[in-house]
Amino acid sequence: MNRFRDFINTIRISRLRFWTQIVAFLLLVYGGYLAVNIGNELPTFACVFTDQRGGSCYLMGFQHQMSLPWNRLFSGRGIGVVMGFLTFVGIFMLLNKAWCGFLCPLGTIQDWLTAARRKTGLMYATYGEGVFQRLSTIKYILLALLILLPMAIGNSFFGLPKLNHDFGVPFCMICPGRTLLPIFQGDLSQLAIDFSSTTKMVLTTLGLLVTGLFLAGAFYKKRFFCLFCPMSALHTIFHRAGLLRLTKNGTKCTRCGNCYRVCDVGIRAIADDLDHHNIVKDDCMMCFKCVEMCPEEGCLKITFLGLPIYQSTEKGFFTRMGRRTHGK
Amino acid sequence: MENERFARMQKTTRLHLGMEATETLQRLTDFPDQPKAMDYFYDFFRRTFADGLTLPPRPAEQKVIGTMCLQVPDELIVAAGAKPLRLCSGAYAFDQVGAEMLPAKSCPLVRATTGMLHANHPDWGRELAAVVIPTTCDQKKKCGEMIATMPYPVYNLEMPSTKDSEASRLYWQESVKQFTLDLQGITGRKITARSLQAAITQGSAASALFRRLDDLRKSGGPVIFGKDIFLVTSGYFIDDPERWGNAVHHLITELEERKQAGLTVGNRAAPRLLLTGSPPIFPNLKVPILVEQSGGVIVADEVCSSNRLLSDGVAYDQVTLNDMVPAVADRALKPCTCPCLTPNHDRSRRLVELIRDRGIEGVVYQAFSGCLPYEMEQRQINTTLSGIGVPMLYLETDYSPEDQGQLATRIEAFIESIIARRRKK
Repeated sequence: MNRFRDFINTIRISRLRFWTQIVAFLLLVYGGYLAVNIGNELPTFACVFTDQRGGSCYLMGFQHQMSLPWNRLFSGRGIGVVMGFLTFVGIFMLLNKAWCGFLCPLGTIQDWLTAARRKTGLMYATYGEGVFQRLSTIKYILLALLILLPMAIGNSFFGLPKLNHDFGVPFCMICPGRTLLPIFQGDLSQLAIDFSSTTKMVLTTLGLLVTGLFLAGAFYKKRFFCLFCPMSALHTIFHRAGLLRLTKNGTKCTRCGNCYRVCDVGIRAIADDLDHHNIVKDDCMMCFKCVEMCPEEGCLKITFLGLPIYQSTEKGFFTRMGRRTHGK
Repeated sequence: MENERFARMQKTTRLHLGMEATETLQRLTDFPDQPKAMDYFYDFFRRTFADGLTLPPRPAEQKVIGTMCLQVPDELIVAAGAKPLRLCSGAYAFDQVGAEMLPAKSCPLVRATTGMLHANHPDWGRELAAVVIPTTCDQKKKCGEMIATMPYPVYNLEMPSTKDSEASRLYWQESVKQFTLDLQGITGRKITARSLQAAITQGSAASALFRRLDDLRKSGGPVIFGKDIFLVTSGYFIDDPERWGNAVHHLITELEERKQAGLTVGNRAAPRLLLTGSPPIFPNLKVPILVEQSGGVIVADEVCSSNRLLSDGVAYDQVTLNDMVPAVADRALKPCTCPCLTPNHDRSRRLVELIRDRGIEGVVYQAFSGCLPYEMEQRQINTTLSGIGVPMLYLETDYSPEDQGQLATRIEAFIESIIARRRKK
């Protein structure tokens, strides 16, 4: 058993992640061809605009439900909304933020762009601490908007006129998932600007702009888009209760900062927070590179329902560093 | 006249150094059940210190770059094709030379290092392509100015005096980047991503070996004395990394066999002690030797000549210089627990963790008289340790052999008191 543990702890979880991401990408983007559908409340960008998808992003349905008038939302119809939400929370808690690091198709595309940049030998961009703090609040604003805008369709706020139905799924309209993922099925139609109404024209134009930013940004900055992701903001409310956890034993930490160095998102607390046991932070995507790069025995651990699955070890760290000619 | 005086000084220093080394090696080997594989290190120091201090053999075209303090990223020097040589000296013979140049109350390590460079300047002044001094403690900084006039090509590596803020980290990274550029000028060799990667791998290999060796002291009856560990790590200062690595590998293999066979050095139930404070460097292994002659065994340490020097590994994200150079810089600063950094909570945290992890019963705190940062941190470490109920012995000492009797009495009493504590429990 101990030898098995030792073996597990010396593997490179990044490699496992690389392959998992490919499988998940195929499943979520092409699953429909195999008649696979793993649910409509997925806490990840399995885009609804992709026809033969293997599951659907929860945000689409959620935005739709938010456009219901109050009286219907708080009637029997509300039970369905609540059930949908609970399903979403349940599915999310099972894998916690690993939905982002291992399964999200948009995350995967960003990681592929990162790999492409790496091949060119270009350096990645990083944010200063202040910028990071300020940018990471944007996702909460987006989350608020994607709830409030649809609500203003079915209801009137403060006596203002109701919004028109073109605001139905405002986030989807600007989400790069809508423009990019259908391309993988040969569907380029989402790359068009919709001139059928002013609202649609503005939103689809914004969508294309965001897509451009997404591609350019993710090439230079690792996981560029994740910092703005409203899905991640929605996760934040529940990630502390996730079944899959990343934990830290502060007494073993030397604050060498290896974890922070390799963190794709740039979370400083992973190195400097010595007090919290459950160390998953807002922007964490649970890629577990930090665990891989921690040389201290049992300082960082991945646990599921409290049971350790993988942990940082001295031997694991030096084996991985020795083996690596890196890049992949 | 001046030349004659210098030549005489050089000759007596050489003689004294040889005697000092022989004497220390004599005392080091005068323990029962020594591991055979330690012979490599005894021989190494016998050879290196026999006739003055000889620089280790190396290819003729390879440049030697002297470093002070572990914050100098060796990996960069290796990547530039040069041989890093840690200059910090533990020799009383050199201390006496340095004493003529530095204030009476200065740190013996700084005096010895300055003295060593002075006594060897006719040859070393030519042989050392640079003497890299990070701006750590005041004495190291100021001795640099003196060393520059000897003359040596001194390089001041700017280092922040704190490490907690992101600003200090970036400042240090910039300073290491500049050092990387300057190193290429000094050695005339370009540092490439590949050469740096190889150098990092070499450094990691040494760390991995040291950790394996250190782990053998974690639990159970002691398989190696602390004084031998300090000799091994002092060897890392000067030895060829590959030869050093092989020797450590042999040592580990032998110790693992011994552990399996249940063999121990000294008393199986000897009090388990931790040594922290100013660094023990060969030939100044006075305190560790006295501790272990008095029946204790040093099973852990927190000093910059051993554990702090070889524990950490570099983590980089991609094989490009602009990621790896800052990574190397981080390795040298972030986990560092040198008291020249303020605040230095990481040091007491590290001590507490070592005590918990290794079942330490008492801490020996060595401070070189004149080394103010260590002398001053003594109080706060003492408070932390009494908080967790671990006794600490504070020893203020230097390189001279004169205080040995007094030290031995105090150490013996300390070890007695630990044994008495056990009975009470």
